[in-house]
Amino acid sequence: MDTLALLANGFVAAATPTNLTFALIGCVLGTLIGVLPGLGPAAGTAILIPLTFNLDPTGAIIMLCAIYYGAMYGGTITSVLINVPGEAASVITCIDGYEMAKQGRAGTALAVAAIGSFIGGCISTIALTAVALPLAQLALKFGPVEFFALMVVGLSLVIGLAGKSLAAALLMTVFGLLIAMVGIDPVRGAPRFTFGVEDLLDGVGFIPVAMGLFGISELMLAADSRLLKPISTRISSLIPSRREMRDCAGSIGRGTVIGFVLGLIPGVGAVIPTFLAYVLEKKISKTPERFGKGAIEGVAAPETANNAYANAAMVPLLALGIPSSPTIAVLMGAFIINGLTPGPFLFQERPDLVWAIIASFFIGNVILLALNLPLVGLWAKLLRMPYHYLCTGVLLFCILGAYSLKQSVFDVWVMLGFGVVGYLLRKLDFPLAPAILALILGPIMERSLRTTLEISGGSFAIFLDRPIAMVLLAIAAAVIVTVAFSPKAIEAVSEDAQ
Amino acid sequence: MSATMRRGWRVATIVLFALSIFTIHQSVELSLMDRLGPGPGFFPFWLALLGALLSLILFVEVHRTRPEGPAIPLMPRGPALGQVSLIVASIAVTAALLEPLGFRLAMLLFNGGLLFAMGERRWWAVALFAVTGSFGVYHVFNNWLDVVLPVGRLGI
Repeated sequence: MDTLALLANGFVAAATPTNLTFALIGCVLGTLIGVLPGLGPAAGTAILIPLTFNLDPTGAIIMLCAIYYGAMYGGTITSVLINVPGEAASVITCIDGYEMAKQGRAGTALAVAAIGSFIGGCISTIALTAVALPLAQLALKFGPVEFFALMVVGLSLVIGLAGKSLAAALLMTVFGLLIAMVGIDPVRGAPRFTFGVEDLLDGVGFIPVAMGLFGISELMLAADSRLLKPISTRISSLIPSRREMRDCAGSIGRGTVIGFVLGLIPGVGAVIPTFLAYVLEKKISKTPERFGKGAIEGVAAPETANNAYANAAMVPLLALGIPSSPTIAVLMGAFIINGLTPGPFLFQERPDLVWAIIASFFIGNVILLALNLPLVGLWAKLLRMPYHYLCTGVLLFCILGAYSLKQSVFDVWVMLGFGVVGYLLRKLDFPLAPAILALILGPIMERSLRTTLEISGGSFAIFLDRPIAMVLLAIAAAVIVTVAFSPKAIEAVSEDAQ
Repeated sequence: MSATMRRGWRVATIVLFALSIFTIHQSVELSLMDRLGPGPGFFPFWLALLGALLSLILFVEVHRTRPEGPAIPLMPRGPALGQVSLIVASIAVTAALLEPLGFRLAMLLFNGGLLFAMGERRWWAVALFAVTGSFGVYHVFNNWLDVVLPVGRLGI
């Protein structure tokens, strides 16, 4: 069956009333997460996983994906209205978006962001449709040797772009991989590092750890810095003029390309595409002095890149089983909870589900556009919610989510423990993204490596006999060496992006 | 890097070094290699060895760095410390009470207690939020979404 026929089947599955409702609920909840400062998409998606426990896997994943891209869009609203990004990828939108709001053009900025996000998201999904299947078919030829090498590449990219210190990023990767080692050995079935605790036999739960590292620690940081205060704001007309639309048409096109291409590379994260899209617009503009003073292109380009990235980042997950950011890692955790392993075999075993999810991206983009423009006023009102209600509500869902995963209070303690660890590590500026990605990739990496070494009789020379694996490992080595020997360039990109 | 940040990094690298050494010790007790190939201790052993090495490198790097800028306290103080501690304590107490009291009563206490401790003084708002966030949430998750939540010794 060709791609278009598979996609058509996907639309049939995704457009059932039930799945449409899940997509709608996901978009609303995702936007809510994006709007509320101090609650990022990774934490928000993890917290809302319990909502999907007893749903059909297709509906559950559609809803969680909608939460993800809804959150990516929702962050824009606070960036424009109050100069506080709802999530990291919207930081750059503050520069011109908030200036536009101060000039009474908040509605125009939000409308352009929504239209750009819609176009970027849809084009990116079309490209995803074209790329994902061939990539998955290529990956089907991979054995454990190639899979191990592929995961090393994924982690090396995450490490390379993680921040100031390569050693710290590597150390966080090792930390994540070591946590993943707890529980039953995936090859021999022997218990490891469980210290007689029965709850540890299943390993340290990924979702409680993600909730702790991202959700609890975020709330602790917000309480620490007293960032969250109720805010009131006003919205003007939502309709951009013809001239404004003409001005930002090119920016939307360029933002789409940047977002899609960078979304395919694991580890890039959502911040860098938005940053690059903004810098490019400023560089090629005939009037760069307008940037920072309310240039509409300064909103259109990064917001388009943000959504194009969000959709493209699903390609490595769906085709290769590699999450490219912490939020995608949480989504991968949700796939696993639902008994699904993302990667090339999913295209073979559950094509109905994969194509329904891809089709739901198109539907989700339409829902976001239709929903968010009329509801901007409502989202703005939510910003007036006092911090103590927000904090208590989020903690309630964290406890509920951590417990209900396995009906285990132990997981609530795990979440709390990792919340404290995450808070301390974030205070010290240690990168957490490599740790969370390593945690989810750890068991697959170990299984691949040990199977490889069992095939080769313990010899690492097998990596030299497999050209694909050799090329992949060479790429990983090149990334690490480049970062190690030119830290200033990487640091500049990371810091600017932060 | 400020002096307080420097001190924090030194402590973190020492803790991670100790954790790595402990993991190396535990991994050696598991089998590293046998006739079938790599054993359960193989991967964690090499990872922990790398972790120990990286911790040492970072410790030396940080030790060599001269402190710069004002010594901003790393940990919160005063009311901010109170808020952070409140979050940790409220989760810990709720985790301890979740099974003996059941979800509804534990969350009723959690919601009401935390809101009050964070400064909400309108009793009706506290009561409304606490009841909705405990009995209401239980009803939605248990009855509509089929998510099993604990019932306490009192049968609630």
